Amino acid sequence: MAAPLTLLLIVAVSIRLFLFRSSLVGLIAERVEVVSPLNAWKRVIEGLALLDLGVSPYSGDVFHETPLIIYLFHFVVDYAEITFMCSVESIEIFFCKSLELEADRYPMDCLELVRSPKQMYYIPLKVAMFYLLNPFTILSCVAKSTCGLNNAVLALFFLFTIKKNTLLSAIFLALATYQSIYPITLCAPAMLYVMQRQYIPVNYRWASFWWFVAQYLFMYLGSLSVIVFLSFFLLGSWDYVPSVYGFILSVPDLTPNIGLFWYFFAEMFEHFRLFFLCVFQINIFFYTIPLSIKLKDQPVFLMFMQLAVISIFKSYPTVGDLALYLAFLPVWSHLHRFLRNIFLVTCVLIACSALFPVLWHLWIYAGSANSNFYYAITLLFNVAQILLVSDYFYAFLRREHHLTYGLYLKKKDGSEATLVLK
Amino acid sequence: MLANLVLSFNCTYLAVLLSFIRFNKHVGNFFSSQHTNNWAVLVCTSRFWFNYRHVANTLSVYRSVKRLGIPDSHIVLMLADDMACNHRNPKPATVFSHKNMELNVYGDDVEVDYRGYEVTVENFLRVLTGRLPPSTPRSKRLLSDDRSNILIYLTGHGGNGFLKFQDSEEISNVELADAFEQMWQKRRYNELLFIIDTCQGASMYERFYSPNLMALASSQVGEDSLSHQPDLAIGVHLMDRYTFYLLEFLEDIHPASKTNMNDLFKVCPKSQCVSTPGHRTDLFLRDPGSVLITDFFGSVRKVELTTDAINLTEPITPVEDQEKEPYSYVDQLPVSEIIHQKPKQKDWHPPDGFILGLWTLIILVFFRTYGVKHLKHIF
Repeated sequence: MAAPLTLLLIVAVSIRLFLFRSSLVGLIAERVEVVSPLNAWKRVIEGLALLDLGVSPYSGDVFHETPLIIYLFHFVVDYAEITFMCSVESIEIFFCKSLELEADRYPMDCLELVRSPKQMYYIPLKVAMFYLLNPFTILSCVAKSTCGLNNAVLALFFLFTIKKNTLLSAIFLALATYQSIYPITLCAPAMLYVMQRQYIPVNYRWASFWWFVAQYLFMYLGSLSVIVFLSFFLLGSWDYVPSVYGFILSVPDLTPNIGLFWYFFAEMFEHFRLFFLCVFQINIFFYTIPLSIKLKDQPVFLMFMQLAVISIFKSYPTVGDLALYLAFLPVWSHLHRFLRNIFLVTCVLIACSALFPVLWHLWIYAGSANSNFYYAITLLFNVAQILLVSDYFYAFLRREHHLTYGLYLKKKDGSEATLVLK
Repeated sequence: MLANLVLSFNCTYLAVLLSFIRFNKHVGNFFSSQHTNNWAVLVCTSRFWFNYRHVANTLSVYRSVKRLGIPDSHIVLMLADDMACNHRNPKPATVFSHKNMELNVYGDDVEVDYRGYEVTVENFLRVLTGRLPPSTPRSKRLLSDDRSNILIYLTGHGGNGFLKFQDSEEISNVELADAFEQMWQKRRYNELLFIIDTCQGASMYERFYSPNLMALASSQVGEDSLSHQPDLAIGVHLMDRYTFYLLEFLEDIHPASKTNMNDLFKVCPKSQCVSTPGHRTDLFLRDPGSVLITDFFGSVRKVELTTDAINLTEPITPVEDQEKEPYSYVDQLPVSEIIHQKPKQKDWHPPDGFILGLWTLIILVFFRTYGVKHLKHIF
């Protein structure tokens, strides 16, 4: 396991090094699909330069990173490339470590469905491969977008949740929430997972349930407030709150990206803007409760779903966010036999990724297309992602059903039955 | 034929002049105005057939001015539309100013300098200020100098503070005043007479501030200038009232007439024009009573007669070159000192309290996670 991993690491690092030294760096760093106003490297150095000139980096609309990023990059700004590569490598290492998956708890006769340890042995490697060699991750790393750091924090959070370390998981979740607000929805799967491991029944009537929830929330909120106040002390002002959180929530910058916000809000009348802003933002948080009720026994899958929902519906998504939940897919390789739309989804994702730069060029440079073309591709891209996630959800549910009711379903008269999702 | 007429009038005037000189009367009149040449800028700003009367207005003034001696080369005639050859003109190649087609002001020798769409605010202002592209022919330029008396006649549709050009743009009274100031600064006129026949025409000369300007308008602010009479055969109004009576007045002027501006101010009283004509003379340095009509409407050459001989045989002494001071540069910035100085960059450092707090927290979390037993190894 160590040898293939090392080989993979070497390959990934060499690809990134090669790209770092090539002329594509400038090109990739400007692509709107790869960087967003929240995590562009250009803005980070702009903010640091402003700080060196004695101006608050949050004045004006340039810098939308949290103060801890300032602190981190203040020292390593010359070694940015190495930092990003390290963070990227560390992510997948953490991922690997975290995939000591639970033993199956279904002593059924559906032996085909149950995964054997042999099958599961190579999953961490596959996950590492999916993440490191994903062209999206490579692009994101070469563009030096801080999305990589966000992904690292989320991976660490995931690692510590799987390791049942409540405090650290709460702390890293707080860090992830501090960076962008959306990971707050990952509280639910984290709590569910740790409760499952600690054999606390997820039932609102039990006192231990509430006690655990209170504990976790206390740790989470406490660390969040500590981090927030610490960032206040970095620059001595609360400027960063409207610049970071206000920016994420109120979406003032409508540069096209691969998300759904920009086009809609570009043509929104001011009168309705607040309403639709609320609608769009609630959309992300809305799926937490129904999904956690449905998937309360499978919190890892819930975490995957939540991550996917966040990266699809967040206000400034980039391909780096995509790469994070795409890396999870090998974990559910046993669901492949139940997936229905995987071919369509793959084709659409590849086609859209190829069409993004083409239509951008046609729109901005050639002038023969317009924003509708680019938005169509964005829509299609997001639809494909949603289809992917919902397909995996369907496959997951179907596997659960088969585990409960047997693989070969028969109707009352003995003929073969088909399973229909109502 | 008209040129001969002009010449004959000039000769007559000279003769009269000479006779006056002999009798040594009215000598002061000759040297009262300092101008040596006359120019006229006549502008009709309206297009479309129903604005026939504006073209007739302008052509009437053109005719009078030419009759009184200003040659075509000194007249800039701008007509925004061609009424004579308009499809709706039942009498093609004619523009009448009187009903019953008594007076054809179009004639055989009308020279229009700016026609049709060339009559724009920009072109008008460029003609006035002289800022034309080098390719502009002389016929389209106002080549006046500081000894020119200029007559400017504008007609069309106007309002309070503006005049409409071509039904699409406007010139404001401020722009006009500034154009005249530019002319004054460049000494493009000696004296300027400005006549405007539009609705609320008096607003156009309200903003003048340059010296030696006299202005007349057909109506005050809030009044409309009305047209004179329609011709039932042609189907449109032929002239505006003010210009009609102005034309009647000018028909009595000849190059030798002594009528002055005060008579011009009395043209078209309220009983004849329904509007009240206005005038402005406060910027004019001479008394209007001493200004002849022909100072502006005609091209009357001043001849200075002297009985003394001027000796041209004496050598002219050249002016000696004065000793010039050597030029020296002003003290410049000490560039060489500046560029070799490295800028002192004040790096920003995070506050110590922050660093302390952050690392304390990290260490606390570390030890909380991995137990206190590690401390034993450190200490």
